[in-house]
Parts: sequence; C-alpha cells; structure tokens
Amino acid sequence: MTLGLQLWVLFGAVVYLGIILWMLKHKKLNVRFSITWLISGVCLLIFAACPYVVYVLRDIFRIEMPSNLVFAMVIGFMMLILLSLSAAVTKFSESIKRLTQSVAILEKRVRELETELNKKNDDRL
Amino acid sequence: MKILVIIPCYNEQENILDTVQNLKAHCPEVDCLVVNDCSTDNSEYILKENNIPYISFPCNLGIGGGVQAGYVYAKQNGYDVTIQMDGDGQHDPAFLHTVIQPILDGSADMAIGSRFLEKKGFQTSFARRMGIRFLSGLIRILTGKRVLDVTSGYRACNRALTEFYAHSYAQDYPEPEAIIAAVLNGFRVQEVAVEMKERQGGVSSIRAFSSIYYMIKVSISLLVYRFVLVDRGGAHK
Repeated sequence: MTLGLQLWVLFGAVVYLGIILWMLKHKKLNVRFSITWLISGVCLLIFAACPYVVYVLRDIFRIEMPSNLVFAMVIGFMMLILLSLSAAVTKFSESIKRLTQSVAILEKRVRELETELNKKNDDRL
Repeated sequence: MKILVIIPCYNEQENILDTVQNLKAHCPEVDCLVVNDCSTDNSEYILKENNIPYISFPCNLGIGGGVQAGYVYAKQNGYDVTIQMDGDGQHDPAFLHTVIQPILDGSADMAIGSRFLEKKGFQTSFARRMGIRFLSGLIRILTGKRVLDVTSGYRACNRALTEFYAHSYAQDYPEPEAIIAAVLNGFRVQEVAVEMKERQGGVSSIRAFSSIYYMIKVSISLLVYRFVLVDRGGAHK
C-alpha cells in the first residue's frame, strides 16, 4: 500500500468514526445499535494505521489477496448490522401492535364514558 | 357465565351488520365485540350508527393482531368463554352453542368449528380443500394432534387459553399457528361439526390460498413456529 493511499484510508476511517461519535453525541443514534458500527470503524482504523495486521491475518487465514480479507470482514459486519436491524424492526412491530391494541381498547372505553356522561348531563337538565 | 364473541372486520361493510344482527337474534345472551382493523370502507360508520360494540385500530395490524386485541379485551373484562367468528357471514351463529359446548362441559380448552367433520354445508373449492388437508397433515406431524379444519376461524376458547392468546398470538398465519401453540402448551383442542356458508360478499383474507407460494410460506412458517415453541406438554393440566 502506498503512503498516499494509506493516508486516504486513515482519513476515511477517522471521518467514519467521527460521524458515528457525532451522531451518538447528538442522540441521532442509539448506543445499542451503535456498537457494531463502532467496532467496524475501529477495525477499519487499525487496518489503515498498520496494514501489517492485514498481511498477518491473510497469512493466518491463507487468503490469497489481502483485499479479499478486508472485503470479507466488511460483508461480515454488514450482515451483523442487517440482522440487528431486523431484530430491532421485529421488536418495534411487536411494540406497535401492543400500542395499537391498547389504544383501540382505551378508545372504546372513552367513547362509552362519554356517552354515559352525556346521558347523565341530559338527565340533569 | 360471561361469553364474548370476537368478530374481526376488515372492509366488511356489506356483511358486518347482518353478521352481528344474526348473532344477536340467535344468541341474545352473548356479548359481541367487532374489531375494526382500520377498514378503508364504511365499516366503522356502520358499527357506530348501529350501536354495535367495537374497537377500532388507528393502523392495520392484520387478522392476528386484530383477534389478539379481542382476547386482550376479554381478559381485561373477565370473560369466561371467548369465541372467534368471521365478519363475512360464513359462520352461522346457529352453531354457536355447538361450538361452545365442549368449553362449557370442560372437555376441551379450545373447540374449533369444523366443516369437514360431517361434510355438510359449503365445502370450499377443491384446491382449498387440498391445501387445508396438507396443512392438517403437517400439523399432525408437528404436534401429533389431528385437526381437520385448520384454517377455520370459528373457534371458542376458555379463560385459560384466552389469557394465553392475550399474551401471545401468532401474527402471520394465525389460524393454523394458534392450533400448534395451543397443543404444544398443553391445551386440549377439539373439533366440532358445523356447517359453513359461502361468504356473502367482499374478499377473503386468505385470497391466494390456492397458490403454491402461499402453501410454501405457511409450511415454512409452521415449521419455524414449531421449533421456536418450547414444548411444555401438559403444563396447564
């Protein structure tokens, strides 16, 4: 890897981590969902700062091209994040279902109470 | 004995009034609750104008979420028996007493009104019958319980099962999945013979029933559902 390229990747990783931290600070990202993003950002930063790590890992896993290792890891992180998003959606849909059901039941009670109240007022008049 | 009839309703403006009036005529002693699942037609207006007890969702939840709201309502209001009945006029209230009899006797926790036990009344198309038979076989393999009319939405539950369904009820293909959940949690399921009519108007919630794609989806869903449920066999006895 040339020095210029390394600097660019380093710059990219820092910006990436910076965006995540900025979003966390301004509550635009939930801490629970940010963990996978943060770990992926830190990995990217390590790879950019010392590319030697990638070469070592490549030798351990016997992958021909170091870039393939990086791609494989990126895909792995993406799948993790997607799975956690599906889990979050499932949780939200369950909550929305519960909320909708109780809103509907409460709305019926309010309607009934209103009719009762109107009747009482009519009787008094 | 407090008895509640839950009638899920999604765009049933042609049928809903007849269904409720028919029910009131046959069984004046039972309460009914129409669950309006965010209908886009005049269903809610009809329910309001005719003083029919109903709850109305602000967004569409599907048949599973709708029926479950009925069970939650039954639990909150202390009903002893909860009956589920379609809003499209397929289910004849004349058979209501037949359906709740096993619950009243205490011989079952859930009674399913089945059109295939005595093969009377409207039997649906050949393709649907084959589909139902396949699902019935699948449920028998998965749970060991023989139920013929697995997609029948005409069913009665006792208090224990009502509370169970209020807590968890299947969302995707609720009729067959609810049977699996009940059997695997140790509830006794029984079928009783009823006659059904052809739906009076509107469209069925299981529209693409004859399509193979639907069958594959339901089968996979049932398999997954079977394996995520912990078999607590007999926990409620």
